[in-house]
Amino acid sequence: MPASLLRELNSLLGSSNVLHKNEDLVLYEYDGSVEKARPDLVVFPHTTEDVSRIVKLAAKYNVPVVGRGSGTGLSGGALARGGGILIVFARMNRILELDLENARAVVQPGVVNLDITRAVEHAGLYFAPDPSSQKSCTIGGNVAENAGGPHTLAYGVTVNHVTALELVLPDGEIVRVGSKHGDTPGYDLCGLFVGSEGTLALVTEITVKLTRKAEAVKTLLAIFDAVDDASNTVAEITARGITPAACEMVDGWTLCAIEDYIHAGFPRDSAAILLIEVEGLREAVEAQAAAVEDVCRTHHAREVRIAKDDCERDLLWKGRKNAFGALGRLAPSSYVLDGVIPRSKLPQALQQISQIGKKYGFSIGNIFHAGDGNLHPIVLYDPRDPRQFENAIAASHEILSYCVELGGALTGEHGVGMEKNELMPLLFSDADFDLMRRVHDACNPDSSLNPGKIFPLSKGCGEIRVRKQAETLPAHV
Amino acid sequence: MTATANLATRLEGILGAHRVVAAEAELREYAIDGMVPGAIVHPASAQEAAEIVRFAITEKLAIVATGSRSKLDLGMPPARYDIALDMTGLHEIAHFDPGDLTLSVDAGMPLRHLANVLSEKGQFLPLAVPCYETSTVAGALASGIDSTLRKQYGTARDFLIGAEFVDGQGAPCKSGGRVVKNVTGYDLHKLLVGSLGTLAVITRLNFRTFTLPQARGGHLACFSNLEGASSYCDAIEKCGLPLANLETLSPEMVALTAAALRETNAEFAGHLDPAKWCVCASFEGSEAVVPRIARDLQKLASETAAADSEILDAASDAHLGSVSREAFDWLRWASPSAALFRIVLPQSKPGDLAALLCVAQESSLRSALLVRAAAIIYFVLLAETEDESALHTLENAAAGVFFLAGAGQGHATLLHAPLKLKSRVNVWGPKRADLGMMQRVKHSFDPQSIFAPGRFVGGI
Amino acid sequence: MGTPQNIPGAVPVYEDFARCVHCGLCLNNCPTYRLWHLEGDSPRGRIRQMILVGNGELPLSEGFVGHIDKCLDCRACETACPSGVEYGKLVEHARARIENEYQRPLFTRFARNIVFKRLLPYPSRIAFAARLLRFYQRSGLQSLARATGILKLLGLAEREKLLPRIDDHFFFGELGKTFPAQGTRRARVAFFAGCIANVTFTKLNEATIRILTANGCEVVVPSEQFCCGALAAHAGVRETARQLARKNIAAFAGGQFDAILTNAAGCGSTLKEYDHLFSANEPEHAAAVVFSKNMRDVTEFLATLGLVATLKETRLRVTYQDSCHLLHGQKVREAPRQLLRAIPGIEFVELPYSDICCGSAGVYNVTQTEAALDLLKEKMDYAKATRAATIVTANPGCLLQLRAGAEIHKTGQNVVHVVELLDSALKQQVIP
Repeated sequence: MPASLLRELNSLLGSSNVLHKNEDLVLYEYDGSVEKARPDLVVFPHTTEDVSRIVKLAAKYNVPVVGRGSGTGLSGGALARGGGILIVFARMNRILELDLENARAVVQPGVVNLDITRAVEHAGLYFAPDPSSQKSCTIGGNVAENAGGPHTLAYGVTVNHVTALELVLPDGEIVRVGSKHGDTPGYDLCGLFVGSEGTLALVTEITVKLTRKAEAVKTLLAIFDAVDDASNTVAEITARGITPAACEMVDGWTLCAIEDYIHAGFPRDSAAILLIEVEGLREAVEAQAAAVEDVCRTHHAREVRIAKDDCERDLLWKGRKNAFGALGRLAPSSYVLDGVIPRSKLPQALQQISQIGKKYGFSIGNIFHAGDGNLHPIVLYDPRDPRQFENAIAASHEILSYCVELGGALTGEHGVGMEKNELMPLLFSDADFDLMRRVHDACNPDSSLNPGKIFPLSKGCGEIRVRKQAETLPAHV
Repeated sequence: MTATANLATRLEGILGAHRVVAAEAELREYAIDGMVPGAIVHPASAQEAAEIVRFAITEKLAIVATGSRSKLDLGMPPARYDIALDMTGLHEIAHFDPGDLTLSVDAGMPLRHLANVLSEKGQFLPLAVPCYETSTVAGALASGIDSTLRKQYGTARDFLIGAEFVDGQGAPCKSGGRVVKNVTGYDLHKLLVGSLGTLAVITRLNFRTFTLPQARGGHLACFSNLEGASSYCDAIEKCGLPLANLETLSPEMVALTAAALRETNAEFAGHLDPAKWCVCASFEGSEAVVPRIARDLQKLASETAAADSEILDAASDAHLGSVSREAFDWLRWASPSAALFRIVLPQSKPGDLAALLCVAQESSLRSALLVRAAAIIYFVLLAETEDESALHTLENAAAGVFFLAGAGQGHATLLHAPLKLKSRVNVWGPKRADLGMMQRVKHSFDPQSIFAPGRFVGGI
Repeated sequence: MGTPQNIPGAVPVYEDFARCVHCGLCLNNCPTYRLWHLEGDSPRGRIRQMILVGNGELPLSEGFVGHIDKCLDCRACETACPSGVEYGKLVEHARARIENEYQRPLFTRFARNIVFKRLLPYPSRIAFAARLLRFYQRSGLQSLARATGILKLLGLAEREKLLPRIDDHFFFGELGKTFPAQGTRRARVAFFAGCIANVTFTKLNEATIRILTANGCEVVVPSEQFCCGALAAHAGVRETARQLARKNIAAFAGGQFDAILTNAAGCGSTLKEYDHLFSANEPEHAAAVVFSKNMRDVTEFLATLGLVATLKETRLRVTYQDSCHLLHGQKVREAPRQLLRAIPGIEFVELPYSDICCGSAGVYNVTQTEAALDLLKEKMDYAKATRAATIVTANPGCLLQLRAGAEIHKTGQNVVHVVELLDSALKQQVIP
């Protein structure tokens, strides 16, 4: 990295907004995924103009640029795979406008997802997309990855809640797309940029829709003695046209780990549970809860509990939300996948996942958004053993391939990033890639923005890249 | 004529004579604002469509993909129009998985037929668009025209989950998939919504479907003035009642609607008082929810001093709904020269609506106004002649409409107007800041600009 | 670099670090990350630095020490962590290593030595220092210093406001006494009085005893108790903490108590973790486990026991700031809120971001004054917006910080401990 670039960045942003020492840079080589890549410089812009100038400088020195929010992503989307400048948006975290009358908020990309809700809940509104990292993840990252969450089953993912964006292109040009009230004449550019994983432009301002809180909510816990019964329940809930606000499934083995951890009174001998939430008008909620309960019982639910109050509801959700951590207690590390399958194929998918686990000798937990077929198998492994890490990756590839075989997709909400780009040919043809590449090049012609993401780098399908060992830990401990 | 004949012959050479039509009378059926194509091709598969596209690329010909041709007057007429690619031959359901509530359907499938198939499994696609009885699924999607159910189900972008299409290089491509949640790759299919066929030839579309509601209901409230109607709508929004549609009709629009209704149901038309502002609500849900919403609306109407209000049964609501759904269609022909605008303004406030009506008044034009789904304003200016003075008046009034929309942080498009007016005003409204980005997108899909050149925003 | 085996007591093992899957869910819960948005000042970043330093991949440099020093040890990250990382353990271990292996500047070393090793462990020295300070506060010297602007000149103006007011009489005199239960005895408890609290929170301690006895508790205040060692442990001065722990374990042993209580959440969380100070094979470990198991925060204990004393109506709008070491360190969230709501007439409003540290954090407001004051400013902005007349909290350190905040930011709000509010609502004032 040329010293003059550092000098120019320092004078542009002030040295407190530029990191260049190795001891600082190593803290930006990871995110929430198992990937690693170290930037050469880290900068903290405060304004859109800062971002534009940084990007222009990067172009002048011909170094790549990558955007990052809180670094909670699960596919390496915010890692500087080609080195270069990492633009951290965490200090661009102001809510610029709250228009409660029109249910809109205009925010900078570094605003934390949950902080939007906190700022508007007094008016009975909230921001609907709720990734489980919503306490930390930024809206900029949500836009890049088109983030989802448990309650997106009924309310849609990030793209359904974004009406306008301000963007900085790799040449520094500032562009606004969409409009505050949506329905802009012309192409749905917001629809293109949301979920483009930071490979087309850097997002510097976002206008989001706010949603009105439902009048009533009911949370049900259904306990099953057979996984298939739980899967079939999900299928029938879907088929009967009941759209719960959330429909989450946890397998029995995982549930034991959770119960050991939080003592919420979950059964220790079940095969699976469903956590189902219905929302809406009081009358609708009553009717839907009754219908859901009926479906559960038809499919031999051993027990259906309905949370009596917020306290019980919180306890049930606490189990779901702490599930990953609970599993973390069973092994030193875990690898979370994000495949999607048609909802009716749940039973066979779960069977196959368990077989793939057996084949590689892993325990695989299943905690996932059953309602929309978004699986999150969690492979438990010990990173001290490099063979285990390789096998975890291999098992994940087999599971994702199977999802595609069932008519599904590689990722439902985590993004492709640098984690699954080599698997993309499972879904897309050369012609598909050509067109995607042309759209990419129309915005990012030199691949200077977030290089090495989404598109496969190697030819041929499913080639496994040899990753750097994901974890290094103190030798003495 | 020879060039056309020659074109037809060469197209016949690719797909066979039975797939190509070049008879004068039929070509006129495919005219867009008076422009007639050189030939009509009826591909029977995505491969055949791709072959025609590749031919067009080599020959530098312009293609307009068509469905039922009910909304070809949207946008500008194409700058060039050599081949009309009639997609109605692709009309199969590729997959319908009722258990998954997902659907994969060919571009030319008529919405009506699709609805019949889906309803057998108790499902539907919430694309309630004008010219419903003839529209094809891809036509409805590419036109970007509003569905009357958008308040409850969103716009097509919200339930389109994937697409297959032929790009401007003649390659069959796809994006998205057949699952309801998916972030694998760029969401290129979303760009197709409302693109007027300028990016690609859509061959297949994947949707999530929805379950037909148990019950439906409607409610009608009349107000002696706009302020009353507005405060009633505000009250509804504030209490967050889930409505499928909420429409506010100006007195003139009430009269036009009543006239349209009279053709099929004279008795119900009598319920509409053309001296009042009417607010029609449609809602659906379980047997318990529908009467609850009706009750709440009745209460809100009386609290906001409605002159009159009544609960509609499902049949009346459906009837009114189907007439209202077709407003775009019948408003186009409501006078010899009609200019129909679609306007989006924040919180359609009474002041903004009044200002629009004022524009018409100042030009001594008859006008009617409809706020759809509590968000989209349909505003029509009606001139009674087709002469130059009528055009001139409309042109001035159109400038006023575009100005008001811009001043209110919103935007307007001219959905329909006499061709002569379209050539004088920019139907897409003032130049937008993101035009450059749209041009980039267009170029990446269709580098040689063979798809409906000139029909779209900024001459795309 | 020395080996970590020099650090006495339990040492974190591989799994303790590996449990952090760097998901980042802790980031926005961390007060210092919220201030500066630097990964190095986030829990995830600090753990990564500990790993890299432990591996020898990064030097134990000024940068590392700076990031670890800036940690409030509020443990809000533990609450946020879905993987159950015991961050408190890790950071104390890192601090112990720094203490062993890093040469701080001379003055800092001198001050740390005085406070952690020569002052806090000795009640008599605390009393002596307190008398000096009381003289400063009462003799007119304080007014003089404030009026002349000399404090501003020395850069101490804000810091001086954070100083506790020394009590007119000290609680030391109550050590060794037993206070009988009012009415039927429902429990026999021991009271841990703290160290500095003896000279600055005498009234709080007295109120604690009153509310306990009024609710049927016999309260014993063992005489041979010392500072809990929290400040030393947090600072990495581990041997001092261990010495204090040994003394306290002995002082409270064999009393047949239903529980040992404290009104200081900061002390409580260390007292509940005395077993962490000793490795499993050390002789003290077993006794430490017994001690820690019996330890309760006074609010936690009262909420479980249930209030029986009648409380008079108190018309007051109050809000509650969670004490980090109660909420995050001890996972006690509902108990203090439950007790507040039990007072008739109280209008309770939640304080937004009440789970974020106010900046007190033991001696943090003295060692990292600027950060502490930045945190305090945000806290007081939210507190003011609640329009509560009184801010309630559950730890002496927080009380001091919030009182200074109310003064600096002129919010006009009163700041009290949960116990003090309960005590003032007691129908019949009992004199202990």
